[in-house]
Amino acid sequence: MTKALLSAFLILITLCCFGQKRYAISGTIKDGSTGEQLIGATIRIKELPQSGTITNSYGFYSIYAPEGEYTLLFTYTGYKPVEQHVSLHEDQKLNIALAPSNALAGVVVSADRPNNDNIASPQMGVEKLSMAQINQVPVLLGEKDILKTLSLLPGVKSAGEGNTGFYVRGGAADQNLILLDEATVYNASHFFGFFSTFNSDAVKDVTLYKGGMPAEFGGRLSSVLDIKMNEGNNKEYTVEGGLGLISSRIKVEGPIVKDKGSFMVSARRTYIDQFLRFSSDSTVRGSSIYFYDLNAKANYHFDDKNAIYISGYFGKDVLGLKNTFGTNWGNSTGTVRFNHLFNSRLFSNTSLVFSNYNYVITSYLSNADFQATSQITDVNLKEDLSYSMGNNHTLKFGFNVLHHDISPGDISSSASSSFNDIHVQKRYGFENAAYISDEWKPSNSLTFLYGLRVSSLFLLGPGTFNTYDAAGNVTDSAAYKSGQIVKSYINLEPRFSASYMLDDENSIKLSYNRNTQNIHLLSNSTSNTPTDLYVMSSSNIKPEIADQVSTGWFKNFKDNVYECSAEIYYKWLQNQIDYKNGAQLLVNQDVESQLVYGSGRAYGIELFLKKKYGRFNGWLGYTLSRTEDKFAAINNGKYFPATQDRTHDLSIVGIYKLNDRWSFSSDFVYSTGNAVTFPTGKYNVGGLTTFSYSERNGFRMPSTNRLDIGATLEGKPHKKYHSSWTFGLYNVYAHRNPYIITFRDSKTIPNTTEALETSIFATRIPSVTWNFKF
Amino acid sequence: MKTRKFKYGIAAAMIILSLAACQKVINLDLGNQSGQLVIEGNLTDQHGPQYVVLSRNAPFTSENVYPPVTGAIVSIKDNSGNTFPLTEGPAGTYSVPNLQGIAGDTYSLSVTTGGKTYIAQSVMPKAVALDSISAHNDLFDAGKGEKRITVHFQDPPHIANQYRFVEYVNHKQVKSVFAFDDEFIDGKYVSLDLEQNDINIYARDTVSVELQCIDKPVYTYWYTLMQQQQDNPGGQVAPSNPPTNITPATLGYFSAHTVQTLTLVVK
Repeated sequence: MTKALLSAFLILITLCCFGQKRYAISGTIKDGSTGEQLIGATIRIKELPQSGTITNSYGFYSIYAPEGEYTLLFTYTGYKPVEQHVSLHEDQKLNIALAPSNALAGVVVSADRPNNDNIASPQMGVEKLSMAQINQVPVLLGEKDILKTLSLLPGVKSAGEGNTGFYVRGGAADQNLILLDEATVYNASHFFGFFSTFNSDAVKDVTLYKGGMPAEFGGRLSSVLDIKMNEGNNKEYTVEGGLGLISSRIKVEGPIVKDKGSFMVSARRTYIDQFLRFSSDSTVRGSSIYFYDLNAKANYHFDDKNAIYISGYFGKDVLGLKNTFGTNWGNSTGTVRFNHLFNSRLFSNTSLVFSNYNYVITSYLSNADFQATSQITDVNLKEDLSYSMGNNHTLKFGFNVLHHDISPGDISSSASSSFNDIHVQKRYGFENAAYISDEWKPSNSLTFLYGLRVSSLFLLGPGTFNTYDAAGNVTDSAAYKSGQIVKSYINLEPRFSASYMLDDENSIKLSYNRNTQNIHLLSNSTSNTPTDLYVMSSSNIKPEIADQVSTGWFKNFKDNVYECSAEIYYKWLQNQIDYKNGAQLLVNQDVESQLVYGSGRAYGIELFLKKKYGRFNGWLGYTLSRTEDKFAAINNGKYFPATQDRTHDLSIVGIYKLNDRWSFSSDFVYSTGNAVTFPTGKYNVGGLTTFSYSERNGFRMPSTNRLDIGATLEGKPHKKYHSSWTFGLYNVYAHRNPYIITFRDSKTIPNTTEALETSIFATRIPSVTWNFKF
Repeated sequence: MKTRKFKYGIAAAMIILSLAACQKVINLDLGNQSGQLVIEGNLTDQHGPQYVVLSRNAPFTSENVYPPVTGAIVSIKDNSGNTFPLTEGPAGTYSVPNLQGIAGDTYSLSVTTGGKTYIAQSVMPKAVALDSISAHNDLFDAGKGEKRITVHFQDPPHIANQYRFVEYVNHKQVKSVFAFDDEFIDGKYVSLDLEQNDINIYARDTVSVELQCIDKPVYTYWYTLMQQQQDNPGGQVAPSNPPTNITPATLGYFSAHTVQTLTLVVK
């Protein structure tokens, strides 16, 4: 199977490599004022209307043409386009600096010319958000939030109010791969999910792949969220920051060596705990609750061909009750990357990536003291190469070797404590992958992007590994030595996308991809808790597999000022995980005995209308979808709606720039309520009213809708500094969106029961932030 | 238990959120799945009558009145093959006088009603002594004089023990399930808080705590109910009927357990 696929692939590539001699024009595109490399900037040859390419993650591009005289056009949203004449007689280098079109406001109203990249690119199921847009969309308490803004796009659903988790095309929250400068971020939330770990000051580019996954990405079933940090200004030093209601942030950036290297440091800390001082309760007053995060990055360009990037993230949530209890949790990541340009056609990036997530829970209670810890540490070596073959082929290939080191849980305590010391065996494994893909343009209107990813998991000793039967009893137990392979899985993941341009403003696209997942989040709680537990595939847990087909029609009109699209997808899911009743997942050596396995399916249609340019811009996204699970022991083995199943999901975002100083924004969301299990009857056992249930997820939460508005006032232009105010009003019409519905004995009418709906943001929540830059 | 400690933290977070949060009672169309058989069988190590109560569940929206199931044939069988028939009275309540469970013995319950026979087995564990109970200032609202109750006992080492506590404040049962196993406390002298939001406890209140030593399936039954409690601020799990030890499956359980009660007047 592998061989057949590979040889077919190679034949296909060889067949297409003929034609007249072409030369390469290659280089880097940067922001002229800061030296930041621009990701996804467009390069086009005017004389060859169907030619075109975009810069990669490092701002690098290469484009091909036969010998001749050409005019190259460089464009990037929010920047003034540049035209450059080229006499092409040999491979040549061309670095370009683009000037921001509206340096003052950074609003997407720009003079930049609309383009039709969305029509021409074979990639489908991809969403890109500019930081300018993210900064404009009003959010809770004024904390700009990448994940919350992403959930306003079709096919992406917020896990709920006060939850940064998101569901992509019916996938669960742990089926998203969240990458920050290539490092996996295991828990992307602060404060139980109310805020995301991404400080938008430090972020340069956000791309979400929800279908047609490029072969260079893998490891999760439903999406890849690829976040790149700012490089730092390599022209001059700047300091910027903001003072908000619940947090403040500051960013410093500047050149290390002018035009050659730069650094960026960005920090944020909340002061929610200051509000506790106002509490009348002494325990609450003596408590701590805050989070902070730190992003840092530096780069140095040795010459035109070699560059190094070092970046890191450190974030922590701290929560403690006076003399009673304390907990902290957080992610840390580190990435070292080395770019090397072998020649104008072959670009290489080598990365060494570190990622860690851990939590510590401490009890200080006398007779019940303990400290519980858990962590997951990854080290990943990654090599990515791209080779432009000239004859309309761009090859990408590479591999990665990822080592997991998981400490599921340890408890230590004093001798007088009620608790024992417990040590759950550590787990080790390698998740290795190799991939190759080719983007091929056989004609001006047809583009193929196809590839293959081979992914593997090797679960390694030392340790004792149990196999369980369906009832959770141990059927086999074996001890393994250090480095011995306990279980291995190898999966082939074919990826294919095609686009056909009907004309300059219309295209149809088609894609198929298989994704597998070998690391699984275990959490049977409906809310976002920091006690995330990850397990690798094993003899009990099989790799999760998703196959997705999607097709879509993409149309632009009014000279590409408006974009619209309709995409349909269908996904088959295998080896999905659920929990037995009464499952105990924390610090449990036999946690795999608590699981049951099933399958699922998800399908839907996504409609998207976007106005990218002009004083007034924004978008409208609507998704009609269904997500269903199937487990033998639940609902008689029939398909039932998954928790994240939402029939309708609508988002409207509008941004209006009134003048140079004032701009306004608003967003509106509506979605069907989550599928939930409500009681259908009641009885009495043990002296308690107890509820009986007839089927899993047989009911719906009430639908959710909310309108938020925001305004930005830019300060008067000043030579030395710049300031602005951001105002926001969350939940404008104070709608009571349900957070949870619980059932209990009535407090008012004796001998009856009642349903209680809790809303967490049932009122208007205003916010104001002052931003500065000098 | 670690998770319960952790919930203190979440409770603190919720206090902050409660600035904006609000609750209201709503009407929901929950359908009507009533009339299912509920079996609640208990056999204790105390000499005296043992009871099995048969009823049917009721729709969520109606009153908390559960129709008794009358005319059933109910019996309990012990290790040595002795069968003890239970007699009905009042309606739906079946009892046998002068039966006392013995630690280590397996008991079987048989209920025949509506042409179907239901069977359940439960092992009476060895009794673990409840050493004492004590009252301490509550973590929150201590300023208002609120107290929390702590139970103290020695867990026997190297054997699996499961415990259920039933708490009464001024003779009124606290509407909360307390079920623990000894996974984290094996062989320790244990002090455990009974955390609950149902009844506030103040000085001069009379608090009784009953300790039941239960077998593993019965523990799973109560632990599942505990996880689904509405005041479980650590986040609820998808609720379902707890796994029963009765076959064919119906609502309820059969538990052979030890019983010990301690009473305290809070100072």
